[in-house]
Amino acid sequence: MSWELLSASKKSKGVTLDPRTKLIVLITICFLVLGGEGGGLALVTKPMLTAIPILLLFCFGKKKAALVCVIIYVTCYLGEQFVVPVTTGATNFVLLFLCGFISRVLPGLAMGYYTVRTTTVSELVAAMQRIHLTEKLIIPLSVMFRFFPTVGEEYHAIGDAMRMRGIRFGGKKTVKMLEYRFVPMMICSIKIGEELSAAALTRGLGAPVRRTNICKIGFKALDIVLITFCAVLFILTILRKIGLLGVLA
Amino acid sequence: MIEFQNVSFAYENGDHAGQLHNINFTIPDGQVVLLCGESGCGKTTLTRLLNGLIPSYYEGRLEGSVFIDGKSIVEKPLYEIASLTGSVFQNPRSQFFAVDTNSELAFGCENLGIAENEIIARMKRTVAELHIETLMDRSIFALSGGEKQKIACASAAMMEPEVFVLDEPSSNLDIKSIRELAEVITLWKNQGKTILIAEHRLSYLMDLADRVLYMKDGQIENDFSIADFRKIPPDEISRMGLRSLYPVTFHNHHTFTAKNKDEIILSDFRFAYAESLVLKVEHLVIPQGSIVGVIGNNGAGKTTFARCLCGLEKKASGAITIKGKTYLRKKRLNQCYMVMQNPSHQLFTEDVLDEVLLSMDGDEEENRPIAEKILSDLNLTPFTERHPMSLSGGQQQRVAVASAVASGREIMIFDEPTSGLDFRHMEEVANVLRKLQKAGKTLFIITHDPELIERCCDYFIFIENGEVSWHGGWNLQNKQQLELFFGPQRKRR
Repeated sequence: MSWELLSASKKSKGVTLDPRTKLIVLITICFLVLGGEGGGLALVTKPMLTAIPILLLFCFGKKKAALVCVIIYVTCYLGEQFVVPVTTGATNFVLLFLCGFISRVLPGLAMGYYTVRTTTVSELVAAMQRIHLTEKLIIPLSVMFRFFPTVGEEYHAIGDAMRMRGIRFGGKKTVKMLEYRFVPMMICSIKIGEELSAAALTRGLGAPVRRTNICKIGFKALDIVLITFCAVLFILTILRKIGLLGVLA
Repeated sequence: MIEFQNVSFAYENGDHAGQLHNINFTIPDGQVVLLCGESGCGKTTLTRLLNGLIPSYYEGRLEGSVFIDGKSIVEKPLYEIASLTGSVFQNPRSQFFAVDTNSELAFGCENLGIAENEIIARMKRTVAELHIETLMDRSIFALSGGEKQKIACASAAMMEPEVFVLDEPSSNLDIKSIRELAEVITLWKNQGKTILIAEHRLSYLMDLADRVLYMKDGQIENDFSIADFRKIPPDEISRMGLRSLYPVTFHNHHTFTAKNKDEIILSDFRFAYAESLVLKVEHLVIPQGSIVGVIGNNGAGKTTFARCLCGLEKKASGAITIKGKTYLRKKRLNQCYMVMQNPSHQLFTEDVLDEVLLSMDGDEEENRPIAEKILSDLNLTPFTERHPMSLSGGQQQRVAVASAVASGREIMIFDEPTSGLDFRHMEEVANVLRKLQKAGKTLFIITHDPELIERCCDYFIFIENGEVSWHGGWNLQNKQQLELFFGPQRKRR
């Protein structure tokens, strides 16, 4: 089921990264690839940052997905560099938009997908505890991730019932489809939520002791390499922004 | 030791069901106590007092006191009671907190701040004791109901409480899973734990329980030793509103008498999921107008079969022929109607009458009298103006049936219509099913409930590994097969 976010099985293949590293890389990509300026230094850093999630996906066993990402990215990158400058008018505009948009969004999407697929909720919770987030934030967040698959199941069940009763686009009551879908979904989800809270409370949730966590997380060599890499990129970008890096810019 | 002293309780919302009046009893260490009685008699309320959900989570007016090992638990916060009482609830879907099984087992211990090494050691022990090696390191969402319930038992055991409270743990389980649940309870019993089980299904506990508390209207009406309880004649048990104490023997009375010899033909049903064939029904002929029990273990393909029948599985092939007319998948969406296990999923409107009208084509004013007739046939007239979501589960189920009848479907499919129901409500469902049969509908009932089968089914499909391994009406051979399947001893793999 596609709704199973953060439900990776523990036996995930290949390299394992600390969840904190994944988040740092994700943030770096979002800032520097999605938001960063082009030209100069970015001509080198952007492809490098794009390569990280693609390599990770490859090591995770998603070889096909990684290959597709490479093809799309290379096409867009080359398009942006070589085809866009020689076209004019509407073609230029459409190409610029397409290539620019895809090559900026793709790395972030790939990294996000990788993070979600390879992190379990417990790992995430352990990571959040390590960086000393308050339990007031951690518990709601973990409940939220626990709840996605449940809401997904409810959503599908209600969808089936609607099809069976002939409520569909172009069928009966098209205007009311949203209401019919969401009212039962909310009521069912609330009920499940109530039972879930009761079950969790009988198992000691909220005890005023420091929670332990059997999930082993920690930085390894690869984590340190990636984090250092991200840090260097950030520093370079800031230096460039304040004009201290005139040569490269 | 568990002690209840003059306990009375009323929920804050003023709901009459589930109240307790002046409850007094003592359970010595190591005793297994079965708590039974009709729905709404206060069984669940009583279990909630023992695991502390009352008064901390469910609020209301509470008098009297509850002791575990001489300590009053009424004023204790929930997290302190958590290490005294382990709880297993009815719904396997809504009692796990983690997404994968390992984290789930550790969850309770982590909350109490137990050291990591100790948690790992306990986990090893619990996994070995409950034989759940194959369930570890898996996503809980990929487990069956029975497997989830086992994980719930294991999670409770991880906290090593002396008392276990189980609230209708078998409601959503198939026969095989119930046997496994019984094994877990046996293990706890042998470990000397004190166990209280509120249950509708009684037969699997007859060799396990030491004592039976029978509740009625919020009071403990009778306190039986298991030997005395087992001597109560079946008629009396039914009169008390209880399910059968023993595995059902099928001395069936209703042989199918079709008015006409029409047939429903299912041909070439195939459905593959993730490249493996999970359903294959090549040719199956069913007498039209019968009540067909669809039987088999969980995971055998019953639900897939039902979904293919309804046309809900887009990638499934197969055709149904009714009265010489053949319906392919899309057309079946308008021919079949499934009453789901949780009917709240299929009720959409703001009142019960609208719900029925939604299923009817044409002018609303002309349809209204017909809709009202359908509602009165199903004893729903008093609820005409109620919001469907405010009704009880059984009433919602009848509203779903009403809307199916209104849409004029020939084939109706029921997914576990009697799971978690007491004797009286189960009989009510059986009556509704027979009424529908009289009206000429063909019904498919996916069920694990031998008492329901005995009451209304007259044809069977037994599904095993995605294929129909046998089908037919009541005859000696099929009767024996049924008794073997629902029987007490035999362990099926």
